[in-house]
Amino acid sequence: MQGHLPPGISIVKSENFEEWQMDIKVLDANPLYQNEIYRLKFTFGSKYPIEPPEVQFIEIPRSSETPRPIPIHPHIYSNGIICLDLLSSAGWSPVQTVESVCMSIQSMLTANTRNERPPGDSDFVSYNRRRPRDINFFYDDDNV
Amino acid sequence: MMDLDRESEELVDLRTLDYVSKYDEHLMCPICHCPFIRPVRLQCDHVFCQKCLNSAITSFDAGLQNFPCPSCRTSTNGIFMNVPRLLLNMCDDIRVKCPFSEEGCMEILPRGHVQSHVDKYCEYRPIHCPEQACDKKTRKKNMSPDRRCLHGLTRCGTCGEDVMEQDLEDHTRELCLSLRTTCPGCAATVFRNSLKEHIDTCPEAVHPCSASKFGCAAKLKRVDLGFHEQNCPLITMGPFFEAQNSRIDSLDMTIRHLRQRNEILEEAVSKIPSTLVDAAQLLPEGRSVSPTRPHSRSPSQTRASDPSVDRSSGMSSYLLSLHEALREEVAGLSLALTDLDARASMAVMNESLRIKEDMAHTNSAVNSIRMQIHWLMNPRLHQGQRAASAGPGATRGTSTLGLTSPNAGSSNAHPSGPGSRGLSDSGREGTKL
Ligand SMILES: [Zn+2]
Ligand SMILES: [Zn+2]
Ligand SMILES: [Zn+2]
Ligand SMILES: [Zn+2]
Ligand SMILES: [Zn+2]
Ligand SMILES: [Zn+2]
Ligand SMILES: [Zn+2]
Repeated sequence: MQGHLPPGISIVKSENFEEWQMDIKVLDANPLYQNEIYRLKFTFGSKYPIEPPEVQFIEIPRSSETPRPIPIHPHIYSNGIICLDLLSSAGWSPVQTVESVCMSIQSMLTANTRNERPPGDSDFVSYNRRRPRDINFFYDDDNV
Repeated sequence: MMDLDRESEELVDLRTLDYVSKYDEHLMCPICHCPFIRPVRLQCDHVFCQKCLNSAITSFDAGLQNFPCPSCRTSTNGIFMNVPRLLLNMCDDIRVKCPFSEEGCMEILPRGHVQSHVDKYCEYRPIHCPEQACDKKTRKKNMSPDRRCLHGLTRCGTCGEDVMEQDLEDHTRELCLSLRTTCPGCAATVFRNSLKEHIDTCPEAVHPCSASKFGCAAKLKRVDLGFHEQNCPLITMGPFFEAQNSRIDSLDMTIRHLRQRNEILEEAVSKIPSTLVDAAQLLPEGRSVSPTRPHSRSPSQTRASDPSVDRSSGMSSYLLSLHEALREEVAGLSLALTDLDARASMAVMNESLRIKEDMAHTNSAVNSIRMQIHWLMNPRLHQGQRAASAGPGATRGTSTLGLTSPNAGSSNAHPSGPGSRGLSDSGREGTKL
């Protein structure tokens, strides 16, 4: 991470190389995400950047000074786990950076028009105890 | 001696070095974000450090042959080539700080020379204490010629602080709290460690003009500086320069972000063909469920069995041929429809003509029957009239015939009525029948 970050993306926490937190905003006028800031948590393994970091949204309650909801999206479970090809072991490329991942997630939100969670969200959220990387998501559609 | 040999073989990790000179972004490995270290080139012309590429390959399961370029995902076919000498030289020429800068080495040198500097020349490299029992390290320059341990504590004669023997020289020269020095401006004597604070406030000390960053070379005493700064043209230009600089900075930033967005988009676009191929693999199975004409599928099957044909173009031409086949089918159907329409209306017309003819026949037959009936009735009517006028005895006959008489009478009363013409006709018809 060097220099300035792209608009709508900011570092919240980056003291160590295990966990970073980033805030992202959707810049265009998508009514689903207007006036909201979302918090992403990056967890880096020892093999980063050869292997992908774990990236998920984390929630900070509305009552807090910096409320951070989980954005609604057909590829984002309500516990913050993101189903995005480039974060899977197969879709990851070591040339990706925290910045580029944030930008990809930003544009994934920007392009979305569906006000819905992934199918089977409530089951997934209550039963899944695996780590996101080990889940075999079915990347059902096109270019997310 | 053993220790020295072993340590001199330690390789400097070039990735942890402090790069001081600016270098072109294109010299940076996209994986480790360092200027390339022993780079290799792939068939797609993307370059990576050998080590970075190796670790990426090790974590890739599907075999070296299938390993895709981390930047553009084209297949590498397991081929790794040398990079031009020029690129190596440019990377090795980037200036770095000596890895022992924290120990005090001020050396800044081309990256290519770091290893030999550390191995042979750096005076600040910590080496193990020659004393086996001591686990501390000593800078190379502090190593005593007689190779004894210098880590015992000694007391400084002037300030009374305990310092290691190896650090004593530095202490008495630089760090000792009792050291005094004279201010270069006002010639006052101050403690060495508070000289900086003194200079900041000393009225006699020489300061640079506040526009020095824009190129003003003036260095004046604090008193004179105020006067200079009122007239300095570069200070008046200052805000303008600042504005220009921030504008350039923000433009730089915008360009950088646009470039990144562009890269992301390019990557997404480069993924589209593979998505299309996947779709092509899925489609034939999906289609077989819905009824399809067998010949409309054959082009995709022949294409799929021919691996030399580019799959994505095969896919789109398959879709095109499908579209063409459907269009022909629709055209054929509309032709058949108009044909059918014409035939149906012809049939209807023929039928109605035949029926009209039949009707005409039936009409004429009905007419002739009516006339025959009249012809047959007429003699009987006359007979009845004659019987009524002959005698009142025949009342029964009159009453029965009275029912028919107005009919006959009316037919006689209207000469132009059908009855009268029927009579005259019946004569002719009768002969004809
Ligand atoms: Zn590298
Ligand atoms: Zn490439
Ligand atoms: Zn050095
Ligand atoms: Zn020692
Ligand atoms: Zn002292
Ligand atoms: Zn002074
Ligand atoms: Zn000046």
